[in-house]
Amino acid sequence: MGSSAKKKREKKSDFKKTKLKVGKARPKNTNATDTSFAAKSIVLKQQSLSESGRDPPTIFNHNLSLLASKADTQRRDALSWLTNAIPTMNATSLPQPPSAILSKAQPLILDGTASVRSQLLKLLRVLPSDQLGPIDQVLLYTRAGMSHLSTDIKLSSLDVLDWLIEAQPESTVSCAGGWVKTLETFEKLLSWTGAKGTTGSLTGDGKWSATKPTVSLGSSKLLVHQLNSLTTFLNAGLVRPVRNEDLLAIQAAQCWPLWHFEAHLMPTKSNPYGYLNLFGKPRDTKSEMYEDPEERQEAFVTSGMYRAFSQDVTEARKEGGEVGRAAAGVAKALQLVVDVG
Amino acid sequence: MKRKLGALEKVDADLPNLQHKLKIDPRSYEQDFVNQYSQYRSLKELFLQSPTTTDDSGIVRLRDLVDFVSHTADCYPKLTTAFPLDLVELLDLHHATLDPELRDKLVGALVLLRRKETIDSVQLLDTLWPLLLKTPSKNLRALLFQKILSDLRTSNQKATNHKLNRHIQSKCFELIVSDPTSAKGLWAVKLTRELWKRQIWSDAKAVSVMKEAALSQDAKVVTGGVRFFLGGDQEREEAAAEEDTDDEGNIDMGKLRHQAGINKKTGKRANELRTAAAKVKRKEKKKNSPHQLNFSALHLLHDPQGFAEELFQRHLQPAQPKVRLVLEQKLLVLQLVSRLVGLHKLTLEPLYSYFIKFLTPKQPSVTSFLASLAQSAHSLVPPDILEPLVVKIANEFVSEASAGEVASAGLNSIREICARQSLAMSDTLLQDLVQYRKSKDKGVQMAARGLLSLYREVGADLLRKRDRGRDAAMGLRIGEKQTARFGEVGIGEIEGLELLEKWKEEQGIDSEADEEAGWNNWDAESDSDDDGEGWINVESDGEEIDISDSEDEREKKAKAAAKAEPTFEAQQSAGNTPAATTPASSRATASLEPEAALKREESRISRLATTRILTPADLAKLNELRSTAAVTAALPATKRRKLLAAQTAAASSRHADDPLTAAQISGLSAHSYKATRQEKIAMAKEGSREEGGNDHRSTTARRKEKKESEGKSTSNKEKERKKNFLMTLGKAKRKGKRSLTQERAILKGHVERRKRGGKRGNKGQ
Repeated sequence: MGSSAKKKREKKSDFKKTKLKVGKARPKNTNATDTSFAAKSIVLKQQSLSESGRDPPTIFNHNLSLLASKADTQRRDALSWLTNAIPTMNATSLPQPPSAILSKAQPLILDGTASVRSQLLKLLRVLPSDQLGPIDQVLLYTRAGMSHLSTDIKLSSLDVLDWLIEAQPESTVSCAGGWVKTLETFEKLLSWTGAKGTTGSLTGDGKWSATKPTVSLGSSKLLVHQLNSLTTFLNAGLVRPVRNEDLLAIQAAQCWPLWHFEAHLMPTKSNPYGYLNLFGKPRDTKSEMYEDPEERQEAFVTSGMYRAFSQDVTEARKEGGEVGRAAAGVAKALQLVVDVG
Repeated sequence: MKRKLGALEKVDADLPNLQHKLKIDPRSYEQDFVNQYSQYRSLKELFLQSPTTTDDSGIVRLRDLVDFVSHTADCYPKLTTAFPLDLVELLDLHHATLDPELRDKLVGALVLLRRKETIDSVQLLDTLWPLLLKTPSKNLRALLFQKILSDLRTSNQKATNHKLNRHIQSKCFELIVSDPTSAKGLWAVKLTRELWKRQIWSDAKAVSVMKEAALSQDAKVVTGGVRFFLGGDQEREEAAAEEDTDDEGNIDMGKLRHQAGINKKTGKRANELRTAAAKVKRKEKKKNSPHQLNFSALHLLHDPQGFAEELFQRHLQPAQPKVRLVLEQKLLVLQLVSRLVGLHKLTLEPLYSYFIKFLTPKQPSVTSFLASLAQSAHSLVPPDILEPLVVKIANEFVSEASAGEVASAGLNSIREICARQSLAMSDTLLQDLVQYRKSKDKGVQMAARGLLSLYREVGADLLRKRDRGRDAAMGLRIGEKQTARFGEVGIGEIEGLELLEKWKEEQGIDSEADEEAGWNNWDAESDSDDDGEGWINVESDGEEIDISDSEDEREKKAKAAAKAEPTFEAQQSAGNTPAATTPASSRATASLEPEAALKREESRISRLATTRILTPADLAKLNELRSTAAVTAALPATKRRKLLAAQTAAASSRHADDPLTAAQISGLSAHSYKATRQEKIAMAKEGSREEGGNDHRSTTARRKEKKESEGKSTSNKEKERKKNFLMTLGKAKRKGKRSLTQERAILKGHVERRKRGGKRGNKGQ
């Protein structure tokens, strides 16, 4: 009854002409679309959590992607899975090249969880050391870790540095920024800045003496580790390959009438006259590549770090004990420079 | 074995802790800072290697470090010289891909560095401004705009920073001028409008930015600029008024002091009291400081004629303009053009012919067109141009067949045009239109009456004799009312001055003491002018006497009187009487001779205006008299009449600079049709509590609210009435059981109290 009357009215209203009022805006069309809505959420497809029935490369990739997971246990488990899986596979049959694995894993150097970092180190050790690819990225992360606020991260990133030197000694010291920047990091960590901050000296305005800030509170474990790593690093950077005189004599005899013919060959390294810097920008000595021990040594000496290091290492030796022994190692490594120059 | 972590070794809790320590003793923690700074640098380097793929933890860490370094950079200015540049570079190159939180943090860090004065405002704004224009992110734009605004505000807080303002203004200007077609200019418009509103920018340069915006080639920018000219000043006034009345201002110092005396004394509370006192003092100082004189944007325009012409030629005149404006936007532009024309009395002849095609009742928002047309009419527009328009309106809108609201809109707009240029009307048309005052529709009636009363004032000779009314007819006869000719300019005078003089006469106020009092009321500052005897002495009585003298003489001559003695007597008396008696004497000798009356009138006006400096009290009275005169001229009988009276009062108080709106054109026609249910509900809800509206409450309730709003409490009677019944019971019981002695004591006490005047006694009275 009522509804039919209502319906009738509604039907009629379709054919009614709305009365326009003078000077008023035209009413909106009845078929106008309201566009003032916004999507509240985006629905994703369901994630599949089952691992069965997937082929090994997929699982491998899945675990690799889990390295960026938010949960630390998941990261650690993925790392340990990879650590176990890689030795079983042949280096050539890995679903991803070792360089890709490394680039995925390297941010974990700065991870806040200790177990993840220790697991990471295990993973790094099982990677085939000859296929790591460019390592300047890893070195960047390592340096960031070495100057980290937390002592644990400092320690573990020193471990990573040790592994790097062990795995690829040549490229570690000769990659871009690998030499000077790493040395600078050590300089800051040990606060070996030469005469600037020695014990008992007066401060800048000459009013008060400032003690040298102690690097390690209580334990000297970190300091010892730093000194040891520095020693290996310096050794890697400064020791020249041993010249085998006999071998050279044999080689010279083989191409006898020619003398010093290597000097006239096409250069084997890239950009041989780079040191002249004919066309480049002003030098950024810090992030440059130093490919020869001689170049490295010169950079070390000219930046003033050699002098500062040798000055401060003697003081560190005076501390004696473990620190003194580690410092002695550094002093010995420093003598490589003295031997040559 | 679980190792105990020292507080220092916790990774996350560390940076704020270190920051705190650093700030206390920067020198001792220099090494720590260096470590953190190098950490920041290595993280930044890592980030720069792959800005898009850096993982979350790295970004979070970088963000924390940026925060840390920006908070402590001022302790180590030498170490961190590169830091601001780093941030600027990061933002510049990677703002589109940065993690939003990190991005916001970078902006925040830059602003922080500005606050610590590591970088200056120009440097900061030079970074943020291009970013605002470049970035695709809405959030970042909002943040940047807010930061730019707040920085400009703070740098203009103590004194106007002209250098910075000029720099930013020229940036805004360049932005619009360099690419008129881009919508980016909207940011310049927004910034300028906001700063105009806050009275930070109030100079011609800001106006010229908006001028360029109004002439640009993007619809949004154009409307932004036009809206500024139409509403910017009003917005500014409102903001200023709001600032004055905000609740912070009403600090009751006495109450706070009292509370401080009672409550526990803590450092915080003492501080609060001190800040409150400082605020009150500042407020007081601000109140006493001379009011800042702000010119409206329309008056600060350089070359309004050129601007109006260009606006018209660019946006309205061409059939295919470069900017496509919708009707609403076109109306805004039209409004601005007509406003400029009306305000500065510009000559823009093509504008009027442009109106013709829009003047039909079917045209959407025709009332706005009508309002614009009326607004653009002024006394220097040739009547020949306006006449066809008036005729067209009359033909299209005003006829017996058209609806009431249409006719009233037409009549109202004709009245508004003719109020500005009365010569645009022919007598036949006027006589025709005036006949509509007999219409049944109230709106039409009122509109026609308005037209009639207008022409009684400005051109009574065009009306039929019986429509002229008494005053106008008399005025015509004595030749006082004459139609102004085209281009004639009236003699400058103070409107309503004669009312004031009449009032003064009636009150018998003409003494020097009163004038002094008028000044005293004005301001505490001008108290030093108390010894203003010099001012009063300027009012030379001799001159007045001379005038009255000559008048008297002339009258006597006209009457051809040979009586020498009375003339002499009159001269004598005039010489002796002070100023107060002169008007009386002149009134006594008033005659109906038109010329003499005219002369007298002139002399009267000139006397008050030239012999006395009107005190502020005088001016206030003048205003009041003027408005009451306008109201009493049409005393209301019904509600609708009252409404009309209010409207005419509002119209009479309307300043020449105020715009004419569509609502004024449609006028009373809003009441001429039956309101729909929705409209009725809306009216009952909204306008109810406003003045004049019916708020549907009892008189008692309204009175009570009024009393409460005035801060008055209840009367004794009311208290008695409201007293709880149970509380009165005890006394009522006891009252019947009193002994005679008790009764006597009570009566005695009552009499005693009556004598004393209350319990405590009204000693003061």
